[in-house]
Amino acid sequence: MTPRFKILLAVMAVAALALPKLVYPIVAIDVLCFGLFAIGVDLLFGFGGLLSFGQALFWGGSGYLAINVVHHFHGNLALAIVAATGFSLVLGAVAGGICVRRGGIYFAMITLGIAQIGYFLAIQLTNWTGGENGLQIGSRGTFFGFSLENDTAFYFVTLAIVALCVFLVLRVLDSPFGAVLQAIRENESRAIALGYRVNRFKHVLFIMSATLTGLAGALYSLGNHLAGLEMLDWHTSGAAVMMAILGGSATVLGPMLGAALYEGLEYFISKTPFTAGTDLIVGLIFALCVLSFRRGIAGELLARRWRRTST
Amino acid sequence: MSVDYAAAQLFNGLASGAFYALLALGLSVIFGMLRVINFAHGALFMLGAFATYYGAEAFHVPFYAALIVAPLAVGLFGMAIEVTILRRLRGLDPVYGLLMTFALTLIIVNVVRLMAGPLGSPYSAPDALSGATNLGFTVYPTYRLFVIAVSLAISLLVWWFVERSTLGARVRAATENPVLARAFGVDTNLLITLTFGVGAGIAALAGVLAAPTTNVAPSMGDAIIIYTFAIVVIGGLGSITGSIVAGFALGLLQAIGSVYYPPISTTLIFIVMVLVIIVRPAGLFGKSEEFR
Amino acid sequence: MRLTSVLSFVCAGAILAGPLSFATPVQAAGAAPIKIAVITDMSGVYSALSGQGAVEATKMAVEDFGGKVLGRPIVVDAVDHRNQAALAASKAREEFDSGADLALDLTNSATAIAVASVAKEKHKLAIVTGAGSTDLTGIDCNKYTYQYAYDTYALAHGTGASVAKAGFKTWYGIVPDYAFGKSMLKDFGDAIAPYGGKFIHADLMPLGTTDFSSYMLAAKNAHPQVLALLNAGADTVNSMKAAKQFGLDKQMKIVVGLLFLSDVDALPDVFAGSRITTSWYWDMDNASRAWANRYAARMHGLRPTDIQAADYSATMQWLDAVKATGTTNADKIVAYLDGRKFNDFYAHHGQWRARDHRVLHDMYVVDVLPKSQVKVPHAWFKVVDTIPADKAFRPASQSVCPKNW
Repeated sequence: MTPRFKILLAVMAVAALALPKLVYPIVAIDVLCFGLFAIGVDLLFGFGGLLSFGQALFWGGSGYLAINVVHHFHGNLALAIVAATGFSLVLGAVAGGICVRRGGIYFAMITLGIAQIGYFLAIQLTNWTGGENGLQIGSRGTFFGFSLENDTAFYFVTLAIVALCVFLVLRVLDSPFGAVLQAIRENESRAIALGYRVNRFKHVLFIMSATLTGLAGALYSLGNHLAGLEMLDWHTSGAAVMMAILGGSATVLGPMLGAALYEGLEYFISKTPFTAGTDLIVGLIFALCVLSFRRGIAGELLARRWRRTST
Repeated sequence: MSVDYAAAQLFNGLASGAFYALLALGLSVIFGMLRVINFAHGALFMLGAFATYYGAEAFHVPFYAALIVAPLAVGLFGMAIEVTILRRLRGLDPVYGLLMTFALTLIIVNVVRLMAGPLGSPYSAPDALSGATNLGFTVYPTYRLFVIAVSLAISLLVWWFVERSTLGARVRAATENPVLARAFGVDTNLLITLTFGVGAGIAALAGVLAAPTTNVAPSMGDAIIIYTFAIVVIGGLGSITGSIVAGFALGLLQAIGSVYYPPISTTLIFIVMVLVIIVRPAGLFGKSEEFR
Repeated sequence: MRLTSVLSFVCAGAILAGPLSFATPVQAAGAAPIKIAVITDMSGVYSALSGQGAVEATKMAVEDFGGKVLGRPIVVDAVDHRNQAALAASKAREEFDSGADLALDLTNSATAIAVASVAKEKHKLAIVTGAGSTDLTGIDCNKYTYQYAYDTYALAHGTGASVAKAGFKTWYGIVPDYAFGKSMLKDFGDAIAPYGGKFIHADLMPLGTTDFSSYMLAAKNAHPQVLALLNAGADTVNSMKAAKQFGLDKQMKIVVGLLFLSDVDALPDVFAGSRITTSWYWDMDNASRAWANRYAARMHGLRPTDIQAADYSATMQWLDAVKATGTTNADKIVAYLDGRKFNDFYAHHGQWRARDHRVLHDMYVVDVLPKSQVKVPHAWFKVVDTIPADKAFRPASQSVCPKNW
């Protein structure tokens, strides 16, 4: 951990603690959840070299499951979160087995296709998803006996969970597993020649990414009291990819910053009469980022420590 | 089921396959040359349709002229994009090309939406092509027969050019070994720009053909781009033959699905894609060296 | 590289400091304004039938009312939900928390159902004009939500009954395979049955279907008397285009489940000749015309859809209720409105039904005229039938609203 990283982490931590006071609490919850979603996407992209355009499958799938569990199991929030996360873990294992067979560009299109199957399934299974109307819960339920109806309370529980995830990701990337990932990223054929079962590593990475994304989705739907079809839409996958890259792929904190930027931008524009231009502005910023700003915000801030994935 | 009805449904499949084939073709051409997955392909398709509409509204360009003018205009636009934006990403991981074209999609679609509004714009087929043709064994809308004919013609033309002609061979050589091609005096930059323009033009042509039968709206490219990706994966990315065959085949499959079990018809393409990936990862006609 | 590093610092700083600009200012006590939040699609596919026009219509009502009530100024907030239920719900929460007393419009059923739930939680009022799901007065009904303009039952029973009565007995359905479509199919089936009508076939089309040619061919083969397009938005346009291509408009009567004036404005040729049901039409009588003229003056000649007129009407009704009860407290307003009968240019024989919070009024069956028969710009409809308020909507006896309030 470089000094710069520690400073960034400290600043972000302070901001995170103050956030519910600065913006509407639900927006703060959204920032955290999308941040974790983007970290999940970036695990695959920045650290595995695999661009997935279908992570919304786990975001939405877990989101729907969480709402269903709260609805059917007397508002047991902890159960909802655990079940939803477990669901994404299993789904990630299955989907990952199919997707990691092809790398690079193909991977993006395959994940997109599989997520679309999920989208169409969700429309059909109206008992579990409410179809195009989505599923709602009146109250969030209780978390180990505590009611998290207060948005700020929910935010801080989410913050704790997200912080734990970030810590775990940092540890994993710093471990031998992370070292092999780096080797694969730098020269896949050499890694294979050295005897590493590259596809296995990619598969495990995919499962990790899916699990984090699922957890994020569960927290998001519980925070917002509903799960809807937009959660499975490929545009949502695209948004998470943009957040990861804008914030800084190949860094762990970057995607969180990217999510804050994206959500902040949307929120800011929503207060003006120019809401029709939201996607246009996002597109323009992202284009600029891809053209000449590929390391993203955190990437630039922390440069000279984290290896760039590509120049 | 009567012969009349079965034949007509088959033609339906060919007609929707015609669009898939054209779009998959354009995507493969661009990938083959630039190694870039053009996410903006759907947006270019939409621009072709809008160019047709505006051409008619503002300049009274008739449909037959639009078939040439719109692809030219969008092709030029595509070339401009390649020179100014995509060229800068050339040395990088192809994934950045995909991301940039994704950003371009957002930009293009939303600019059109701001200019034209989110609802559709009206466009009808020319009178000569409206109505139905009696083929003997079935009576079928003339316009859709026209679409099938144009798509087949263009597909065969492009296939012949890339796979059989000398110029096509040079283009393929430049793709496989740009340095060597340049050493032989081939202007690879120009070739790349032209290829993107041609790919964009083909997408726009599909858009022109779509304008009379589909709602000409800014979102029209959105729906079709994911199907195009799936078809290209099934056919084998970079394979012209694969794109054409997979395009028509899946259009037919979708039509059969609509007749026997409608709920599955839109998911069918993705299910086939998943099966192909498991059984034959390179795609039906792809070469396994195209792995990365 | 240094420039990009600097930019990053600036960006990071902006992100972290930015939220400070959104910190909600402390509300000045005393003459706190009365806020109406018009939550609708301001930029997407429904922005023409509602959108800015809805906001303008609401503002017209506020102005006509005098701009103040109970000594407090009235403020109209325009909120874009961009057709996302989560966004609609979170914006509704924010509006209610910052003083809004009424959420209005809510075009798009998913967003309406989401906001209805928020309204119930916050004990504030939501009047839905733009959404048609009968669930809003059925399983998702609640004390704090009213459905004001149309719903799928009214559309089905208006158009269905009118066409079946005229002798069209065999129907073929083009139905999208989701809740809206299935509900329309059921309602249309119920509506045509008393007149001997029935659906000989109904294809359930999966989401994402853009090519309707196979279904049109199958419909042509089945030789029904009516082709019922029970879908919405781009699907309706695509299926109408396909129907015309296969010559179905010459062979059978075409009925469209859901259509608004703005849709015909965009694509007049496509919809000419279809029959639909609407809750109001600007050119149907003098009072409506007079209001539509004032609207057109503010909206560059555009004519209002029934939803926009409903927003005006609902706003006036709510403000009247606020004045009469002397408070904006939702419980008191609901008590005042429940059962109340009223009349205005939009709602003839109007009533705030207490049983399920379905607002009753006359509905109108109209034919869409071809361009050649349109005398005045935007005058696309011709009223062929009026369905009285007591017949137009689902009877109270058949309501599935749990009414647990």
